[in-house]
Amino acid sequence: MKQRGIAIGIFWAVLLVTLAVRAPAFFDFANLRDMEVVNAPALIVAVGMTLIILAGEIDVSVGSQFAVASVVAGTLAKAGVPLPLVALLTALVGAGFGAVNGALVTLFGVPSIVATLAAMAFWRELLRWVTQGAWVEGLPANFQWMGLSQPQGELAILVAAAAIFGVFAWGLRHWQAGRAIYAVGSNRESARLAGLPVTGISMAVFVLMGTLTALAGVLDSVRFSQVQSSAGAGLELKAISAVVIGGAAITGGRGTLWGTLLGASVLAVIAPALTFLGINAFWEKAIQGGIILGAIVLERLSARGGGRSR
Amino acid sequence: MKSMVENRAGRERALALVVALEILIFAFTGPHFLSAGNGFEIIRLGVELGLLALALTPVIVTGGIDLSVGSMMGLCAVVFGFLWRDLHFPIALAALSALAVGTAGGALNAVLITRFGGAPLIVTLGTYSLFRGIAEGLTRGVENFSQFPVGFLYFGQGYLGGILPAQTPVFVAFVVLYWLLLHRSVFGRAFRAIGFAAASNGDARWSGIPVNRRLALSYTLSGFTAAVASLIYVAHLGQARSDAGTGYELLAITAVVLGGASISGGRGSIWGTLLGLAAIVVLQNGLRVSALPVELAGILTSAILVGTIAVGRLRGRARSTVETEAEEDEMKNYQLAVLSTVIIAGSLIVAGSNWWLVKSVAPTGAPASAPSAAPAAPAMKRHTIAVMPKAKGDPYFVSCRLGAEAAAKELGQDLIWDGPADLDPARQNEVVEAWITRGVDTIAVAVVNAPGISTVLRKARAKGIKVLTWDADALPDARDYFVNQATPQGIGDTLADEANRILGGEGDFAIITGALTAANQNEWIKFIKARIAAKYPKLNLITIRPSDDDRNRAFSEAQTLMKVYPKMRLIMAISAPAVPGAAEAVKQSGRKDVKVTGLSLPNMCKPYVKAGIAESVVLWNTLDLGYLVVNASRQAADGTLKPGVDSIDGGRLGKIGIEGTQVVLGKPLVFTKANIDQYDF
Repeated sequence: MKQRGIAIGIFWAVLLVTLAVRAPAFFDFANLRDMEVVNAPALIVAVGMTLIILAGEIDVSVGSQFAVASVVAGTLAKAGVPLPLVALLTALVGAGFGAVNGALVTLFGVPSIVATLAAMAFWRELLRWVTQGAWVEGLPANFQWMGLSQPQGELAILVAAAAIFGVFAWGLRHWQAGRAIYAVGSNRESARLAGLPVTGISMAVFVLMGTLTALAGVLDSVRFSQVQSSAGAGLELKAISAVVIGGAAITGGRGTLWGTLLGASVLAVIAPALTFLGINAFWEKAIQGGIILGAIVLERLSARGGGRSR
Repeated sequence: MKSMVENRAGRERALALVVALEILIFAFTGPHFLSAGNGFEIIRLGVELGLLALALTPVIVTGGIDLSVGSMMGLCAVVFGFLWRDLHFPIALAALSALAVGTAGGALNAVLITRFGGAPLIVTLGTYSLFRGIAEGLTRGVENFSQFPVGFLYFGQGYLGGILPAQTPVFVAFVVLYWLLLHRSVFGRAFRAIGFAAASNGDARWSGIPVNRRLALSYTLSGFTAAVASLIYVAHLGQARSDAGTGYELLAITAVVLGGASISGGRGSIWGTLLGLAAIVVLQNGLRVSALPVELAGILTSAILVGTIAVGRLRGRARSTVETEAEEDEMKNYQLAVLSTVIIAGSLIVAGSNWWLVKSVAPTGAPASAPSAAPAAPAMKRHTIAVMPKAKGDPYFVSCRLGAEAAAKELGQDLIWDGPADLDPARQNEVVEAWITRGVDTIAVAVVNAPGISTVLRKARAKGIKVLTWDADALPDARDYFVNQATPQGIGDTLADEANRILGGEGDFAIITGALTAANQNEWIKFIKARIAAKYPKLNLITIRPSDDDRNRAFSEAQTLMKVYPKMRLIMAISAPAVPGAAEAVKQSGRKDVKVTGLSLPNMCKPYVKAGIAESVVLWNTLDLGYLVVNASRQAADGTLKPGVDSIDGGRLGKIGIEGTQVVLGKPLVFTKANIDQYDF
């Protein structure tokens, strides 16, 4: 798994050098800042997805959760609820979504991919039915940037994302609860025999995933003055790809948040990099797929190479 | 082992009960739902999805998954069209080559999984992007292939003996093939052994099974079957495009898992998959024939999916502690009870929403059952007018719907408003089929794919239904009238003129479009380019970027464009959510020298137009368009709109001109700071 990280690291370095030579403007402060602000919500979702995958589960419903959370946040703000309360209530709604997924998986024994596949369709279709595709418009003036100025608002989003990332990156390594997620993911039965509350831990990662997704939805919405009801389409695949490219094992127990950060960065940079390099947008999906497959192949080849030299 | 077999049989019985209940409910709510014709249409609509579900069954039984089958359909469709049209391959050879591509793609998955040790989920997530990406790259998103020979189209549109859809034998053959493979051959037992081993973290190699070769077989076969599904899809729609089969993989997986296959491996049967498929397809068709909100299909399918598995697991858990015959029976009853509850809850939602729809759509009174309760227009006959948008969730069509509902209320007509959730030509056909079965008076379609939908529209006309098109036309012989709000050329010209006006006759601009494959936008871009080449040689279109109809994506594309092309002075966004996205990016950048224009809804863009960031927004009056579609449909049904008439009474729109078979709404509006407050949609 480490090899996958190395392979992606090499790809990442090559991409950055190419950009530095061909389009140095890519590294302008304004561009880096904008890319970070735009992708901060997706990174928060990827943090949650890392926990989920480390615990040996998966959640494909995050895109739908994200959309519902955005609309809930917008609707609450429109109803005059003060923003801190909006964020809190939306996070609670997200925690509720996570708890539903968690309950289906832990209490009813539904495999997580099936439970969240159902949740994905359920929430998305319910949202479509209720909103009929209409956006939340006419939000109060203090919704955008949470009533701050634009530079302050952007800073707030970045700080929030960095704080969430930092806390989880630290906690996964150094807190008992963090180690417990690895333990459950690598072998559930051993973890149970070692006295860990495996059901509680699985439940907790789903609740965390829902909460983080809802927070990401809020942070994403406040960049604008209207809320679109179709937000987050394809977000689940993006988040899973980021985690996987970052070297985590899809079977659980192995992976780091730093890897996820690398994976999320690679995915975030592809689209703008293509524009900077003047490459046609039509090949974007093919390149994304190629990166994932390339990582698998390189991982295997480098593992073989390593084996021979030993 | 015995209990497992019983468990499976119980699951299949339960699922059969679900299907039976669905049929029972829809027999009451959907007119003509129980006709033979509708039964065959359900089969036709289920074939592509069914083939993918068949392909996925062995894969899932081995404990794997294949997310790439939908994308593979897109790739095979494009390869097939390209070989036939551009390289002049005979049609059979082109089809064989497409099958070869599908097989090769499946083999690629197989190699990456067996030789390189990639997890199936990750490998096929990669090829999911890769296959679709290659299809888009090859066609540059724009190109599509049509005008296939009639003999080929027969496989997707024809009837054997005048009644049996022509793709049925192919499907039946594949069902038999997969049944033999999974249930009557050593391969099937190997799949199961691999799956059970995977589910219990073991390795089937110790049982002497050539694991890698068997896995390779299941994935390769999956690619091949996806290619077959792709060819049928192309024949069904008459057009090969890179977006074929988008999102089908998830529905197919749902069908397989619903059918009792265990996602962790080992369990699964072809019968179960067919039942799961039937549960999904019957639900979709039934909701449409009953004119109920199709969003319910997704909601109910997921409820049934989770319900059956959760109950099955609970039951299994309970049985593993105490196993007595009495208890088992009790549990079976319990399982059926829960399932019935899910279905009944569903039907209650259905009934409730029916009431809600009636209330919201025709507040003047109850529909067909009480036609006298329409005091607004006592002289007018009450017709059932079915109107289909290109995509239900698109804000543009949401506002058209408001106009349509206003007209239905004013004229005392029953309006059915239904369509695909996302742009999907295959779904449009399904909706029209359901309406024909239901027996509506008029059908008005905003066409996504002209050759694709024309066959079914002709069928509707043959049954005496008046057929109109709006927003985008079908082939002229497939419809009675086209409500023409503005031709693609009119839109393209207006947008190019606006660009010229804003740029002052000279300068660089970029286009942000919807999806790269969107036919509408590509048509407009064609006319924008033509107009600029002919009239405004000093305007320079630097690049075209996709937004996937996502406001946030449009936002980041606009941000990047401004940095990469500092000389760019105008962003033309031609998808409704893209204009506010691009305008917000310009606003946040603080650049005063870059303007935005494009095609969008006035309400969405009001803040930006007023702030002077979006210089103008082009659109026709969508409320009027929806209103006129219903009005013209009503008059077509009454016979006041008939050949030879050169104008009709457009109600609150005044006199509306008819040119040949076109009902003309007029030129697009250009919203600017000066007039945008007059419009509210």
